[in-house]
Amino acid sequence: MKSKIRVVFLKELRETLREKRTIGFLALMVLFYPLLIGFTLHQLIDKSTRTEREGLHLTVIGAAKAPTLVAQLRERNVTVNESGPMTPEAIGELLHGKKIAAVLRLSDDFTDNYQAMRPARIELWFDSSAESGPQRRELDEILQAYSSNIASARLLAHGVSPVTLAPIQLQRYDTGTNASRSAMMIGGLIGFLFFPAFILCMSSAVDSTAGERERRSLEVLMAQPAHSWELVGGKWLASAALALVGVTVVLILGHAILKWLPLEEIGMAWNLGWGGLLLVCLATAPLALLASAMYVAMAMNAKTFKEAQTLVSMVMLLPLIPGMVVSFMDLKTAQWMYLVPMLSNQTLIKELAKSGDIGALPFVLTFLCALVPALLIAAFASWRMKSEKYVLGV
Amino acid sequence: MIEVHDVRKGFGAVQALGGVTFTAQDGQITALLGPNGAGKTTLLRTLVGLLRRDHGTISIGGVDPEKDPMAVRRNIGFLTDQFGLYERLTTREYLNYFGELNGMDGGALRTRIGEVSDLLGMDDILERQTKGFSQGQRIKVALARTLLHRPRHLLLDEPSRGLDVMSTRALRTALNALRADGCCVIMATHVMQEVIHLCEDVIVIAKGHTVAQGSPQELCRRTGIADLEDAFVSLVGTEEGIA
Repeated sequence: MKSKIRVVFLKELRETLREKRTIGFLALMVLFYPLLIGFTLHQLIDKSTRTEREGLHLTVIGAAKAPTLVAQLRERNVTVNESGPMTPEAIGELLHGKKIAAVLRLSDDFTDNYQAMRPARIELWFDSSAESGPQRRELDEILQAYSSNIASARLLAHGVSPVTLAPIQLQRYDTGTNASRSAMMIGGLIGFLFFPAFILCMSSAVDSTAGERERRSLEVLMAQPAHSWELVGGKWLASAALALVGVTVVLILGHAILKWLPLEEIGMAWNLGWGGLLLVCLATAPLALLASAMYVAMAMNAKTFKEAQTLVSMVMLLPLIPGMVVSFMDLKTAQWMYLVPMLSNQTLIKELAKSGDIGALPFVLTFLCALVPALLIAAFASWRMKSEKYVLGV
Repeated sequence: MIEVHDVRKGFGAVQALGGVTFTAQDGQITALLGPNGAGKTTLLRTLVGLLRRDHGTISIGGVDPEKDPMAVRRNIGFLTDQFGLYERLTTREYLNYFGELNGMDGGALRTRIGEVSDLLGMDDILERQTKGFSQGQRIKVALARTLLHRPRHLLLDEPSRGLDVMSTRALRTALNALRADGCCVIMATHVMQEVIHLCEDVIVIAKGHTVAQGSPQELCRRTGIADLEDAFVSLVGTEEGIA
C-alpha cells in the first residue's frame, strides 16, 4: 500500500504538470533570469574592455595643416584617418556608423591664423548619443595638451616662463576600483538567483488548496480516510518539488554562465566550484519548502481563490526585503545574516564567490533557518485543516 | 448499521442539530427527508467525523467516528452535494486517486474500477479528462468514487439529481445491488417517487430534530394522509423550504 502522503503528492504533481500554460511560464521564468544576468554582465565586460581593445579611431579633415597634432595623436595610440573636405551631412553620416569616435575638422584659415598667433579654429564633431564618452574625454585631453604645449613654446620664445600659466597643479587620485564598483551590482544580481523558489510553487500551492475549495472538491477529500497532515503534506511537498527543481536549475545555469564569463576583466571573481554549488543547492532546498509551506498555509485560509492569489503575490515579495535593506545600508556580512531565510542564501553565495572557503556553519544555519519555520508552518496548516471552523468554510 | 442517539450540534448561537435519533439497518435503504436547512449536511458531516458533536452518541458499524474517524471513513461511501472533480485528470485517474487514498492499489483497484464503471454504465467517459462533463456525468463519476472501496455504509446526498432516465435506472440498479449485499444506505433526497420505490425506512428531520422514523406506509398511516408528500409536509409542519 502506498503511503497517503505519496498518493496526494503524485496526484497534485500530475495535475499541475498537465497544465501546459503554467509549465511554459515556469520554464520561461527559470531560463529567463540566468540568461538576463549573463547578458547584462557580458555587456558590462564588453563595454569596459572595448577602449583598450580597439583604441580610438578618429577622422581628421585637412590633416596636412597640422602635422604636429596628427603626430601627437598617433603617439597617444589614436588611429587617424586623413580625409579630404566633407559636408556636415557626410560627417553626420560617418559618425552615425559608430566606427569612429569623432571627426576633427581644421578650418581653411588654420595655417594663416596659427602662424599669425591668432586662435586657430579646430572643429570637433561628435555624436553625443553614441556611447563613446570616455573616448571623447581622452581626445579632449590630447587637444588640451597640444594647445598648452604650443602656448608654452610661444611664451618661452618671449622670455616668459610657461609656469606662469599654471598657478595651481591639480593631481587626481581615484580610489574606486572596478571591483568595488561592480561588487555591489553583482551582489544584487546573484541574490535574485534564489527568487524562483518563491515564484515556481505559487500556482500549484494556491490551486491545490484555495482552488480545490472553490471547485468544491475539498469536502470529499477531507472525508477520506487520510489524516489532515497527509493531505496538507502531499500538497505542500508537491508544490515545493516544483520550486526545488526550478531553483536548482536556475542556480546551475547561473553558475555555468558566471563561470564562463571573463569576470576578472571587470575585477570580479566567481570562485565557486561545482562542489560548492552542490552544497549551496542543498542548503537552498529548505527555502523551497518554506516558500510553499507559506503559500499553502495562506491560500488555505483565504476566503476565495482570488483572495488567495492576491495574498500570496504580496507575500512573495517579502523575502526580497532583507537582502535589499542590507544592500542599501551597505552592511558588512555578519553571522546573524545566516539566520534570515533568503538573506542567508544570498550571503552564503556572495561569500563563497568571494573567498571560496567559509566553513560549515553558514551552510548549516542557512539550511536550518528555512527548514524549521517550514515545518512549523506546515504543521500549523494541517492543524488548521482539522479544525471545525475550516470544515464549515468548505 | 448506523445508530444515532440524541445528537446535538451548535455553532455559536445557532443550534444546527437539536436532538437527532435514528437507526439505519443493514440491507436497507433509509431515506433522509427534510426541508433545506433542516441540518442534513451537518448531520452527514458529523457522521463521517468532520464535525464533532456536542452531545449524544453515534455508532457506525460499532465504531464512534469521533474516536476512530479513519476506521469509520474506510467503511463509508460519502457522496455530498459538493462533487467538484479534478478537471485535468481523467475519470480513471480520479478513481485511482480515491482508491489509493482508501488503501487499494494495483490489479485489484483496476478490476474494481472496471466493475463500478460497468455498474454505472460509464465506459465512454472513463479515459476522458473530466473538464466539461455534464451534471449527470459528474454525479456518475462521484458515485463511482463512492462505491469504489466497497464501503459497508453509504451516505448519499441527493444522488439522483441531474441524472437522465437511463442513469437513474443505473443508479437504482446499483442501490438494489448494495442492498442485496447487506450494505447500510442512507440517502437524502427530495424526490418522493424515489422514496416510495426504493426505501424501506424513512427518517424525517426538521429544524435539527428527528420528527419521525418509519416505513413510507407507516408514515402515511400515522399522519392519516395517503400521499407521502402530503404526509411529509404535515410532519414537518410547514409548507416552507421544500425543494
